[in-house]
Amino acid sequence: MSEYMQTYQVKRVLSHNPGLKSFRFDRVIEAEPGQFVLAWLPGVDEKPFALSGVFEHEIEITIKAVGPFTNQFMNVQAGDWVGLRGPFGNGFQPIEGMVLVGGGIGNAPLRYLAQRLREERLAFRWVIGVKTAEDLAFRDELESMPECMIISEDGSIGKKGRAVDVLAAMHDNEPIIVLAASGPEAMLLSVHGFANTFSPDIPVQLSFERYMKCAVGLCGQCCLDGTGLRICVEGPVLSGHQLQGVTEWGRPHRGPSGRRPK
Amino acid sequence: MINRLYVNIAGIELASPLVLASGIMGLSASSLERVAELGAGAVTAKSCGLEERKGHACPAILPFGFGLLNAVGLANPGVDDMIEELRTFRLQSEVPVIASIFGKTIAEFPDVATRIAEALPSMIEVNVSCPNVASEFGRPFAADPSLVGEITRRVRERVTDIPISIKLSLQCLSLAEVAKACADNGADAITAINSVGPGMIIDPNVRRPVLANRMGGLSGPAILPLAVRAVWEIAETVSLPIIGTGGVETAEDVIQMVLAGASAVGVGTAVYTRGLEVFSSINSDLHVFMQERGISSLSDIKGAAHV
Repeated sequence: MSEYMQTYQVKRVLSHNPGLKSFRFDRVIEAEPGQFVLAWLPGVDEKPFALSGVFEHEIEITIKAVGPFTNQFMNVQAGDWVGLRGPFGNGFQPIEGMVLVGGGIGNAPLRYLAQRLREERLAFRWVIGVKTAEDLAFRDELESMPECMIISEDGSIGKKGRAVDVLAAMHDNEPIIVLAASGPEAMLLSVHGFANTFSPDIPVQLSFERYMKCAVGLCGQCCLDGTGLRICVEGPVLSGHQLQGVTEWGRPHRGPSGRRPK
Repeated sequence: MINRLYVNIAGIELASPLVLASGIMGLSASSLERVAELGAGAVTAKSCGLEERKGHACPAILPFGFGLLNAVGLANPGVDDMIEELRTFRLQSEVPVIASIFGKTIAEFPDVATRIAEALPSMIEVNVSCPNVASEFGRPFAADPSLVGEITRRVRERVTDIPISIKLSLQCLSLAEVAKACADNGADAITAINSVGPGMIIDPNVRRPVLANRMGGLSGPAILPLAVRAVWEIAETVSLPIIGTGGVETAEDVIQMVLAGASAVGVGTAVYTRGLEVFSSINSDLHVFMQERGISSLSDIKGAAHV
């Protein structure tokens, strides 16, 4: 796999629920956790997705139906052709003592990060935040992992609450060496805020999402206001240092025209 | 120390001949500013029209090994938002910024030009040559010297205090005639060339074109010889300064463009092939090249290959 478009047949589909599925392809690639691929549905569109797993002979992306493209993707079956290119961007760096914080579908790339941490025999903990039990992919696998703590906003699975709320207690129990987070932007910024309450602050690796057209740093759609950093090249995983100077937090993101809704 | 890289194009002073080409990282003040800080002598914003446009679906930009095929389809936030971005850029940077405009019809060009002039860009580039909107707008205006002449004249009538450059295409019968139409109707400069083609890539498994627009403009190192020839031909015909654009990746490529007749040189796809470091890297290589050969200014060798 490379930056050049190539189509592959879906090898199998894992259905977590009708609007949340994982797709496996017969491909071997070198990719960091947190890096992403562009997936093309011929005749529909092409969108970025982080890898949720890289196995000996397969790669996997996990998709939640949130719009027209991802809804179409739910119809994709084993044997269908999908275009893939990548991996793109900078991912997570596995570190001993890492605490993973995921929100919703943002847990997907953390699953690959957890896989790498285990392979490298690095101790880690993973707070899996979801709105409700239905949003959790790989439930059986994750419930049986001793490193995982599942938290849901409605209490339908695991403890009731939000992922960020348990970090202070976790840190008291055993100091957090570095935080790796993926999920809604408000959650990422909360994680960053928590990390900054310490002196020195806890290093963070945060995975951001923006609309993009090219994934190779040209279209300018995913450039952050204030610094011009490109989510597709310098990101999607940014350090706390790379967050400095960004002026667009909390504002609506630029859309396909490049316009930022007022 | 003298800055050997200094060039002047249509009265605008650039600290380097390298101009960020339109369509590359040109949507926001912050990304333009980043490119400016990394060594571009001027930066060109993404082409904007009167209204917001989402452009084509993806895939819209496709690397394929010899450059890129792209059909973004003039996606842009509309001139109102672009004015804001350009104003923000100008508050933050001394580097000249070139606005780029397009019109769906000939009549729209002077309107967009008048609006974007409010942001006081150093230059307005008039994009008459987008190859990726033919299904909607018809053949690029750049194909017809009389249409290019009319657009130039009507923009010139409305914008008298900001230099205008017309961005041309190889999609025409005679570049010389199109260039002459620009010169005769009051253009201050010519940008040449836009991406080439259009071309097409078909996926062998799904048996359909990969670009959502089916076809798109070709850019990158493969088109450098075409762009050099185009600059040469224009320089043979008119005396307007030229921003030579197309496939430039190295200092030697810049020299080629200047020898063909360019006053400044566009850099676009090289941001993909060589990364954002391409600006500082070409600048320092260019400095060494000129120093070793005793060239104190690029203007001394401009058009020198015309023998």
